[in-house]
Amino acid sequence: MKQIIDKWGKSIGIYLFLLILFPFVMPDEYYRSVGIIIGLQAIVTIGLCLVMGLAGQISLGQASFWGIGAYTSAVLTTKYGLPPFVGLIAAAVVPGLFAFILGRAIAGLQGYYLAMATLAFGYIVQIGITEWESVTGGANGMISIPQMTFFGGSELSMYFLIWGVVTCVLLFSLNLLNSRVGRAFRAIHKSEIAATSMGIDVRKFKLNAFVVSGMFAGISGGLYAHYMGILDPQPFGLHESIKFLTMVVIGGMTSIWGALIGTILIGFISEGLVLLSEVVPGLQGDVDTIVFGAILVLFIMFMPEGLVPRIRAAFEKGQAKKAKAMADEAQRKQQVERKAAT
Amino acid sequence: MTELLQYVANGLVSGGIYAIVAIGFITIYNVSKVINLAQGEFLMLGGMVTVALIGMNLPYGLAALLAILMVTMIGVLMQKYVIAYVKKANPISLIILTIGVSTLIRGIASFIWGKDAFALEPITSNEPISIGGVMIAQQSIWILAAVLIILFLLWYLMDKTILGKKINACSVNPMAARLMGISPTKMSMLAFAISGATGAIAGIVIAPLSVTSYDIGVLLGIKGFSAAILGGLGNPLGAAVAAFLLGIVESLGAGYISSGMKDAIAFLVLIGMLLIKPSGIFGERSVGKGGL
Repeated sequence: MKQIIDKWGKSIGIYLFLLILFPFVMPDEYYRSVGIIIGLQAIVTIGLCLVMGLAGQISLGQASFWGIGAYTSAVLTTKYGLPPFVGLIAAAVVPGLFAFILGRAIAGLQGYYLAMATLAFGYIVQIGITEWESVTGGANGMISIPQMTFFGGSELSMYFLIWGVVTCVLLFSLNLLNSRVGRAFRAIHKSEIAATSMGIDVRKFKLNAFVVSGMFAGISGGLYAHYMGILDPQPFGLHESIKFLTMVVIGGMTSIWGALIGTILIGFISEGLVLLSEVVPGLQGDVDTIVFGAILVLFIMFMPEGLVPRIRAAFEKGQAKKAKAMADEAQRKQQVERKAAT
Repeated sequence: MTELLQYVANGLVSGGIYAIVAIGFITIYNVSKVINLAQGEFLMLGGMVTVALIGMNLPYGLAALLAILMVTMIGVLMQKYVIAYVKKANPISLIILTIGVSTLIRGIASFIWGKDAFALEPITSNEPISIGGVMIAQQSIWILAAVLIILFLLWYLMDKTILGKKINACSVNPMAARLMGISPTKMSMLAFAISGATGAIAGIVIAPLSVTSYDIGVLLGIKGFSAAILGGLGNPLGAAVAAFLLGIVESLGAGYISSGMKDAIAFLVLIGMLLIKPSGIFGERSVGKGGL
């Protein structure tokens, strides 16, 4: 923990400051709810970032883990009367189990095979939710899911609850990144063969990343269910999975901060598009699909490393330049002094 | 018995479509080691553009021809301006790239045509034909004919012509091919053109039977990919056989288990296959890592 604060103390400080400031500069309930949704998505994308950026794998089924989490908690609390807290624990465990089973099955797979297997899994889950009507309510969905009663359950308290979870997930992931495990992950990302020859159990690491990402998505799903109060299968499909993917890519696949910033950017772009479609009458269909597709293509073509690593590199370059200029200056001064002395 | 035969017949028809998609995947994969996840979108565009052009009062044949040309062009442009641009990308980037293209195409299609489903007039009449009690839509026969013709032409192109040998050379060893004066880039472009054209044809022949809409590409894409993996990525004939098998299994599952689970069955087969033997029924040398 100390290490993270040493390394990312400043970033964490700015993050906490903005996080607390946001609901007070945006007193409108609408913007608070946007903030809540973005927080929920950030939990998912930080997990996805662990899979993509660190383990070098791709998952196109992240929304299905989200959905499993949401439905697990919703069913347990609505049908069996369990408290939301218990539901949330189940919402982490059940998708984690699914991720474990799926990951066990496909941990040896790479690239396209894994991409397609997770895509197919996403479809199976969505079909499963729709077809298992007796439990999930099918296409009609579920209603009157118990709300969370966290400090009165107002929009503001929900905001802080969810961003509290985001902060935990963020710190956990940064810690992971900074540990031996993180170094192993980066080694895998660079070259699986080299990592294996260094004695890293690549399959195990990939599986762990996959399970953790599934659990994060599940927790977020559970919170989503209790926040919304209603559920239907529609948001848990490919569209949402691609949205999560876009968020991670735009921020920078190898950076946890990137995932967070990407989520916030895409979140606001989505809201902007919704507002825009209300003003411009010709905007039928999914404008956001076009935007996400274009972002994915353009980023991979022109900025594959993503925003945050790019900005960091530019910043470090600037820092280095400044340092060099200062060193040069000092050297010149020294020379002048020496000359004066002789 | 008639019921069983009916299911098999239905399965053969959908299997034929998966075969075309699978062969599109393999054609591109063999030459450039890219899995084009926008393959399903080529089918969607084929059907949708034809519908749109007929809506502009063009005759059926001309509309279909223009649609095929257009999708072929889109394939070529995609290779030239998007895929070729990121030559050194890692596999993850390539996957995201083709997903991005497919999402973009889907989004633009929904923007132009909305979310409604469109049907195309059948090529010949709507009357189904009965063969020994099994009812077959006339359009199904057109579909099967298109599949067989495409398979035959591709086989002829790959096995009997110099051009096919050039393409094969690139898939075996791009560097050696380049030394022999063959341009792998051009061959890759040709592969995208072929998969665009065959995809469009498939999209047009299925549009009368199952309606077409902006989002049919995803499902067809995954199923085609499943068939390609089942058959062994890189083996066109194996993929075609696997595609027909997949179609039949799916149709039997829909008939005897649950029609709602029809699509899930195909995906379960895919995941099961990946579990047991990722190299496919007919074996293959690739490991699916991709990369140019």
